[in-house]
Order: sequence, then structure tokens, then C-alpha cells
Amino acid sequence: MVAPSVKGLNCPNCGAAIQLRSGELALTVACSSCGAILDAKDPNLRVLQEFKGRMRWTPLIPLGTRAKLKGDPYEVIGFQVRGIRVDDTDYFWREYLLWNPYKGFRYITEYDGHWNDVVVLRRMPVETGGRQPVVEYLGEKFKHFQTADASTAFVLGEFPWEVRLGDKAQTRDFVSPPHILSEETTKDETTWSVGTYVSPQYIWETFQLPGKPPAPRGVYANEPDPNAGSAGALGRMFGVFAILLFVMFLVRVVTARSELVFRQDYSVSSHDADSTAFVTPIFALKGHTSNVRLTIDTDLSNNWAYFNLALINDQNGTAYDFGREVSYYTGYDEDGRWTEGSTLDRATIPSVPAGQYYLRVQPELGNDNPSPLGFRITVQRDVPRVTFFAAVLGLLAIPPLFAAFRHHAFEQMRWRESDYAPTSDDE
Amino acid sequence: MMRQHPVYLLFGVLLIATLGFAEWRGWSFARATEVKNVPRSVRDNPGSYRPAYLYTGSGRYLRGK
Repeated sequence: MVAPSVKGLNCPNCGAAIQLRSGELALTVACSSCGAILDAKDPNLRVLQEFKGRMRWTPLIPLGTRAKLKGDPYEVIGFQVRGIRVDDTDYFWREYLLWNPYKGFRYITEYDGHWNDVVVLRRMPVETGGRQPVVEYLGEKFKHFQTADASTAFVLGEFPWEVRLGDKAQTRDFVSPPHILSEETTKDETTWSVGTYVSPQYIWETFQLPGKPPAPRGVYANEPDPNAGSAGALGRMFGVFAILLFVMFLVRVVTARSELVFRQDYSVSSHDADSTAFVTPIFALKGHTSNVRLTIDTDLSNNWAYFNLALINDQNGTAYDFGREVSYYTGYDEDGRWTEGSTLDRATIPSVPAGQYYLRVQPELGNDNPSPLGFRITVQRDVPRVTFFAAVLGLLAIPPLFAAFRHHAFEQMRWRESDYAPTSDDE
Repeated sequence: MMRQHPVYLLFGVLLIATLGFAEWRGWSFARATEVKNVPRSVRDNPGSYRPAYLYTGSGRYLRGK
């Protein structure tokens, strides 16, 4: 990088050395020692404004630091701190003015550890109204983020404009991460600039600064969500999985045998459980190890029945014990007819190997209704069930839902600092 | 898209493969108590059989022997 010519002068206020790097373009220069703002056009650097502020800031990027940005060499020639006041609280950000004799000026801004590389626009963005205005620039739409009145709190170095402490400007920010469009309006002019969010590490490496950059706090207006694409990509993958599951379910429904292996009607009138036990004829469960569905269809009315059941392999004596309760009650009240329970019950016995089986059934009949119980037992082999498909669908939905929630939380944090802060129930 | 999230891809493939196997084998969340060596005499005397599971649903049935 060829070093630009530097003009050396002394501050008339404190005598400290002052360097003018941008030559004829500098209109004002602020003494880095006493903070006085001087007239750069005056051969004697006439004092325009003395520094009377209470706070002084030290630039994280020292004046005179050179770096290559977008392939072009720049030098830091000015530094200013500007702030806004919201609800009696001051928020300050820092602006570093960079200069290249052939490329002109650009800015690096920093707020709470968030950095932006900013250039002034040569053409005006197009604004559309609405509750939340939107501006369009080079085909990109930016949503209005915040309007505020900014004032200059501190300056160092040289500037191509008449800078003063206390300079006021109305600022409007529009965001489309990682970009931000900023409009600044003074009584004399309106300027637009576009900023691109850059990482602190990028700034540190580009300007070869010592140590580590301050960690960013919170979410900045145009900070891109590092996981923004995750929710969408995971959602699309979930869609593919969901289609695959649906196809698998259809295939399962079509290929499942759902074979009717046993059906018989029975009746029971005794309320003594010990005398109601019976066994069914032997039936064959064929094919590979699969499930068995047992359906009990009763004519219960205002009564309950409990079925002690055992599916017993006649060849090896392996039994699958289980119990099912069926109850059905109905009546009338002031709201009309009501029912509770069902006359039908289904149970699925998992992973039953092929073989010769019979059922041992022992019904217990409730005493709420003296009528005998009629019921039909149906046994089916290899029946498709939706339960696992639903469970897998639910499990697959967890990662995209989590990513979507995280993205939503990130956006909530972004907009919390805007004029469109989401309200909570507490507010 | 798939390469962006290999862990989720693997998770999904494993889940779906497990589902396919579970459906093929007839797995279920419901369970029946498996009892070995039930005597053949149950066919002749069904009332002698006592189921081995514990039922506490309605309180009407406690358990077999």
C-alpha cells in the first residue's frame, strides 16, 4: 500500500501534533489530545469548538490504522461517537471514518461489539409507506427498524464535513440482515448509507488489532441469524420424511395381511367369574412374527365387563396374558342423551410368532345390569397400526420445531430494540 | 438441503428404518405378559388357569396366583 501524503500541524489549543491525511478534503479536524475541533481549511487551524464534554472515548481502531477492505486499502482518519436517547437512557455507537484517495470514504461502525462496514449511497432508495415503512434498494427490501434523534458526543481526527459536538440528525434505520440502510437528515441535507454486518473477528483480522475483540452483546438490528437457514432446511427435510412416512404407511396398509384368523360369538350370563372361563378352538397364526389384533364387540348396556385373556400357543405352551375392560353406559339428563364408554374394545398383541394358538377367555360381568352379555371375539393377524407412524412423525418434527423456535427467539430479540418491539403479556 | 444437516438426516433414516422393522415385526407400545410352559390341561379345565399379569385399572381385579 502506498502511504498517502500526511500534512503535519500543531493544535493551537494545546500544541499537540495534528496530522491531516485526507489533504484538501478535510474541513474539520479534532485534536486527539485536547479534543478541540479545528478548522482544517485555516492555515492556523482556528479553533472552532473546544471540547467540554465529560466523557472521552478511545477508539478501538487507532487513527492512522490501515487495512484492506474489499480489496482496497483504507486508512482510519476520523472517529466520532454518536448517541440517541430513548426513555432517558443514552445509547452510544462509534463511527470510524476511513479514507482512500481513489475510492473515497467509508465507515466502520460499532455498537455493543457489533460491527458494520458502511458506504454512502449514490442513489436514493424507494420508500413505500404503511404502518412499518419499507424501502427498496437494488431489489432488496428493508423493513423500518427505528427512528431516532442522534447527536454527536465525541470526535477525533479529520472529517470532510463541518463536524461539531452536539450535531443533531434524525436517523431512520431499515434492516434486511445482514444489511442495514440508514437515512440521516439534518436541516441541510439527507444522506443514505448502507451497512453490512461484519464479525468482530473480521475487523480484528483486517485491521490487525491486538488481543481479542469485545464480545457482542444481544442481537443487533441487522445481525444475521446464524441459524436462519437451519429452520427452513430442516423444515424441508421434515417434509421429505413426512412424505416418505405417508408412502410407507400406504404401502403397509396395502401389504399388511390383516388376516381374519378367528371369529366367534359367545354369551355369558353368570356373574361368577370362576365359572365363565372357556377356551376357543385352535386357530393358526401364519407367516412371519407379527402382531395379533383382538377385537371384543359386546352388546353391553349400562354395565361393564372385564375380560381376562390369554393367547396360548398350543405347541410350546407360551401364553400372552392380558386383560381388557369394556363398559358402556347411557341415559338421559337435562342436556339430552349421554353415553360413556364403548361396547367395543381392541387390543394388539405385539410380535407373536407363527403357530397354533387358542384363546383362554374369562369374562367378568358387572352387577349394574342383570342382562346376560353377548360378545363376539375376532382375531386378526398382521394388522397395520398408525401409532408408530405418528410417533416417528412427532419425533422427526422436534428438530425443525426447535430450529424454528430458536429463529423466532432470535428475531424477537432483534425487534425488541426497534420501534416495533413485540409486546408481552406483562406489558 | 440433506447435506446441511447430516445428523438430522441420519436421525430420520434411522427412525424410519426402525419404524419399518417395528411394523414388520409387529412391535407395539402395548405389552402382554409372556408366560412360558402353560400346561396343556388348560384346554380341558380353563378355570384352573390364573393369568400372570397384575391389573390395577378398576380395582375389580387384583392379580392371578
